[in-house]
Amino acid sequence: MAENILVVGGGPAGLNAAVMLAELGVNVSLVERDSFLGGNPKKFKYKFLFPDMQPADNVIGELIKKAETGGNIKVYYSSEISDFKENGKKFDVTIKTADKNELKTFDSVIVSTGFEHFDPARDAKYSYQLFDDVIDIKDLERMMGEDNFVRPSNGQPPKNVAFILCVGSRDRHVGNQYCSRVCCTVSVKQAIELREHFPACEVYIFYMDIRTYGFFEDLYWKAMEEHDVQIVKGRIAEITSGPNNTVVCKGEDTLLRGPFEIPFDMVVLASGMEGGPQSSEISKKLGIGLDEHGFLKPENVTLSPFKSNRDGVFLAGACTGPKAISDSITEGAAAAMNAYTYAVKNK
Amino acid sequence: MALEKQENRPVAEKGEHIIARHLIEDDNIKEEKNLVIDGVDVSGRWNTFILSRVDSEFDRSFFKEVKETVVGSRINRCWQCGMCTASCTVTPLYRRFNPRAFIYMMQLGNLKEIKKYIDVAWRCVGCYKCSQRCPKQVNPAEMMEALGLLIKKYFPEEVKSKLKVDEDVKKIYDDMIVGHGRLDLAKLHTSAMQKTGRTKELIGKIERDAIFKMAKDGRAFSILRLGKPHNWSSSKEAITGYLKNINTIENGESGV
Repeated sequence: MAENILVVGGGPAGLNAAVMLAELGVNVSLVERDSFLGGNPKKFKYKFLFPDMQPADNVIGELIKKAETGGNIKVYYSSEISDFKENGKKFDVTIKTADKNELKTFDSVIVSTGFEHFDPARDAKYSYQLFDDVIDIKDLERMMGEDNFVRPSNGQPPKNVAFILCVGSRDRHVGNQYCSRVCCTVSVKQAIELREHFPACEVYIFYMDIRTYGFFEDLYWKAMEEHDVQIVKGRIAEITSGPNNTVVCKGEDTLLRGPFEIPFDMVVLASGMEGGPQSSEISKKLGIGLDEHGFLKPENVTLSPFKSNRDGVFLAGACTGPKAISDSITEGAAAAMNAYTYAVKNK
Repeated sequence: MALEKQENRPVAEKGEHIIARHLIEDDNIKEEKNLVIDGVDVSGRWNTFILSRVDSEFDRSFFKEVKETVVGSRINRCWQCGMCTASCTVTPLYRRFNPRAFIYMMQLGNLKEIKKYIDVAWRCVGCYKCSQRCPKQVNPAEMMEALGLLIKKYFPEEVKSKLKVDEDVKKIYDDMIVGHGRLDLAKLHTSAMQKTGRTKELIGKIERDAIFKMAKDGRAFSILRLGKPHNWSSSKEAITGYLKNINTIENGESGV
């Protein structure tokens, strides 16, 4: 008889784990809280993915197609885990869908509940939701995804745009001390897209450090050297309204030690990633560890980042910390391998 | 700045009545010594105006202007790591000479800030250490030429009044140009290193390698054979005559 494995969360990591397990002949149950698969990339309509600007549909669309047509994968949409019990080396799980509860026994479990975009409205200094022209990277991604890129306040193309990095990251004030890893790269990617879309629009990036790690650095160099994106060192302390329907960024130029108040047509906040309410929820339900940052805690961050502290429960993707889509997909495969090994061993 | 004493009016310093006057730069206080508006005398403190210290725009027209010049074409590359200032020969002598900051000011079109450095902005001796070490190949040495062009264009008056010759540097330039007909960068570098007491570094690995390489490919000998420029004696006469009459590098340059 084939193994039964549960995958919680249908984002890039969960999808890849499910697809790989199905190819091994495992019966996969994929529990997804939304009514569609694809996770945050699908929800917020990401258009192009860094580093090579390939359409997000090439990646996410492909995974969804494989999961939906893969035969061995049973997808539970708009559903959640309502009960979780250990049964020897196996797990008895109740899956709650819109109309019924279903009790199933699984050999192992993969948790890939992902992340939540930080809500910039929580940090009042950025005046998000107060001014129409202050948006964040996920809003911009959606606007680009919908081919509707204009100033929200008046529908005109912007003359100058500011990106503000580290919104909701590396800030004790909002409770997130960690770096969200991808916002720098997303911001320079969007800056390039903006410059390509509106060559006359000036783009500035306010930064404390620019952390386009590894080969993502190429995008950062490209933004500066081919698209004249200007970086200005200093975090923005306040966004206020300015003359002629502009928004003013108030900050300090830390390289020249001078205060500035610069009006912009549009401000894009590079909001970070958070574990979200789902992380603590799943941690309680499944009895797995939560770390001090609000993400799920791996057993050993270096040796086994894909394992939880509970035998038979594996972790994949951004539920263990901020991650790029490629890393999530890799972890999905790693968790699939480990979950499969565990299931076969304890059969 | 003490103003001359006028009749019926006590001597007043510019902005003297401002509380915490020491926090405000002279340039930011506007005060007319004698001003009459609609027949009302508002001289002195009655017309004092303090300019905001807060920058309220990034002016990218200067960035574009610099980028279009041959020497400044790579201005968009600079990410402000400070490698240029760190390797600079001049900065230890003139702390206010900071190539990194100058490039930043040009990127953001901060002419107000550039104006404060007119006296030192031209101090680059052209050793090209910065350009050799710059991780993004910005070529800061030539960027300093771009800065010179910018200053010359936008602050011609200030250049004349603020740019004073450093006698030591002038002597080196004069000796070289008048004596040999060309600038000898190796000699300039050597003088600067001697002046800062870093003679040991003159035979460091980079220098040894360069000497060896130049000896091997023959450049070292061609430099020795190069001699003086064509028709040097008449040029030399003209330059010597001109140098007698001027005392600024600005005028000196246009003469050469």
